[in-house]
Amino acid sequence: MTDTSKPQVGIFGLTGCAGDQLQILNCEDQLLWLASQVDIVDWVMAKSDNDHDCPLHIAFVEGVVATERDLETIKSVRERSTFLVAIGTCAVWGGLPAMQNEIPRDRLLEAVYHEKATFLDTIEARPVTHFVEVDYLLPGCPIERHEFLALVRALLAGTTAELPQFPVCWECKGKENLCRVVHFGEVCCGSMTRSGCGARCPSHGVACSGCRGPLEEPNYDANITMFADRGISWKEVGQKMANFSAPVWMTKGLEQEVNDDNR
Amino acid sequence: MTTGRTITIPHLGRVEGHGGIYVKISGNTVQDVNMDIHEGSRYYEALLKGKHFLEVQGIITRVCAICSSSHTVAALTALEKALDVEVTERVRQLRGLLLLGGTIESHALHVFALALPDFLGFDSVISMASKYPDQVAFALKLKQLGNAIQTLVGGRAVHPINTLVGGFGKLPSHEELSKIRRDLEASLEPLMDFVDLAATIEVPTWAAQPTLYVALRPYEEAFRFRGISICTSEGDEFDLDGYQETIKEFTVEHSHAKHSALASGETYMVGSMARLRLWNQYLGGQTKKAFDTLFPEGVKDNILMNNWAQLVELVHCVERGIEICDLLLAQPEGASEMVDYEVSAGRGIGAIEVPRGTLFHDYEIDDEGLVVAANVITPTAQNLANTERDLRMAVETMVAATPVPSDDQIKLQLEMVARAYDPCISCSVHVIRED
Repeated sequence: MTDTSKPQVGIFGLTGCAGDQLQILNCEDQLLWLASQVDIVDWVMAKSDNDHDCPLHIAFVEGVVATERDLETIKSVRERSTFLVAIGTCAVWGGLPAMQNEIPRDRLLEAVYHEKATFLDTIEARPVTHFVEVDYLLPGCPIERHEFLALVRALLAGTTAELPQFPVCWECKGKENLCRVVHFGEVCCGSMTRSGCGARCPSHGVACSGCRGPLEEPNYDANITMFADRGISWKEVGQKMANFSAPVWMTKGLEQEVNDDNR
Repeated sequence: MTTGRTITIPHLGRVEGHGGIYVKISGNTVQDVNMDIHEGSRYYEALLKGKHFLEVQGIITRVCAICSSSHTVAALTALEKALDVEVTERVRQLRGLLLLGGTIESHALHVFALALPDFLGFDSVISMASKYPDQVAFALKLKQLGNAIQTLVGGRAVHPINTLVGGFGKLPSHEELSKIRRDLEASLEPLMDFVDLAATIEVPTWAAQPTLYVALRPYEEAFRFRGISICTSEGDEFDLDGYQETIKEFTVEHSHAKHSALASGETYMVGSMARLRLWNQYLGGQTKKAFDTLFPEGVKDNILMNNWAQLVELVHCVERGIEICDLLLAQPEGASEMVDYEVSAGRGIGAIEVPRGTLFHDYEIDDEGLVVAANVITPTAQNLANTERDLRMAVETMVAATPVPSDDQIKLQLEMVARAYDPCISCSVHVIRED
């Protein structure tokens, strides 16, 4: 980005709900500023005149790879771009679509379409990080607008934004919420989930669902004890965490316990 | 004379999700007109089966971001029917407000940012801002207001979290509601200016053809998004509980989303234009004025008018939003609102009119509250067969014209038809079904 001209930016959606692209469109107050700072050359969701081949300084990609077409897209986007950002929990962790990867696709197909729909292009849902090298991870289901804008400003200044590396509990305590685990005996994922959301769910009286994905090193021992003391099994906790980050979570010490319990 | 001409739009721009259009023409005969839907399948039914009903809303809302409030209210309605839960009047009103917020955001995004650039000759709303700065600023503000409503009621603009079976985790304060009310009131006049601007734009008729419209009968004698039965513009009426007999789904090879038709085999249109066609007699206030301005002869067949139908509904959402705020402000403030209920086995169907048409959610749960079966039929999936029919009409009209339009002209016109339906492709390829 030493270019004197505006950086060229592409925004892409693989299979998903388009929620992270929508969050970018939801930056209503900054949208025209954004358009003045960068040249958005490829964004199918928002424009019709797109360049699908030019090199990109920055690419934002949301969604999971769930089709061969998605795989081609992510490979070509990687090739075109200097700095690739995975936006949203699907692209970073696999999200909800990756929850049931152990079920063969043809069984899912038959259950859903009620016939041998052999024309469908379908592969196991996996995060972008599984296939290509990613330069920055911006989790959230959906992403937080303030984190996206902070990242854009940082990139324009030639650096990157630092994301909080502490659990949701940190922000939750700051809001003076009653703890969903200690006071209400609920399965709350806050103690193992990355903060940055302002502890939104517990602040509405709802347990954290883990939608931003796991911390790098949660305090497993303390968590196991805290839940066990309230009669909550580690399996319940693990399955709830795995809703949004199954590919990562289930290899981090939990898979064995969940499987043992299921046997 | 050209023989054998194919026109392909690989990535349909300015729509939600991944789709394309493929047209094959031989001589003057239009052979194939396919709306290719290549969004990947996410198999939400497999994700839901065996989950506790309390997890359903948080999972199913992620079918689609733009429609997340709609999916939320439809899911909660169906689950509460399955569990025999009767929510309070305030919870009903707040959910109504949430739906209005979702519709304002969705319609504002579609009418102003996705559809209008075609009619005014721009490639995006961003480039449109150079010539229409005030209008674009207002459009973004209105969209923001829709998000503010969803944030206040649902906890955030995309994928609500405050919305629970039985009620809400947190109720909005009177101060917050009063602010929303003020913002709604302030947006009415500029919105009516937009209606006047839209009335000056000539809408092409090359895709117009007789169409069957389907919408829910409102739960009261008024223009409402929650309904009690399925009605058609031919005067037929069907029970909600029998929706699977009324709406027949089938697969086609070029689409990851299923197509729909009525049991008679007829394709149909759901959405703003269908609602206005069936229930315009219930419109009042500025909404009636907007309707009379944009539809002076009533709703005539022409799918491109769906954009203006959404504009009329935007006026309705603003006016109805003010009414609901007044109803909520007349009640004492509260921290949260939940009803108690017991978990028992049952099945519930929730049907709601959402921005793109009628949305069905259907869940069966067992005695432990685990999901046994789930089915969702989205408006976009219902509209796909009709979309292809209108695309075909557009191509046939153009091929018969002299001189025959260029590929680029045909492409633009096809994109305008597809966009008029406001397709939500993520929604259409969620594919949930387990009978």
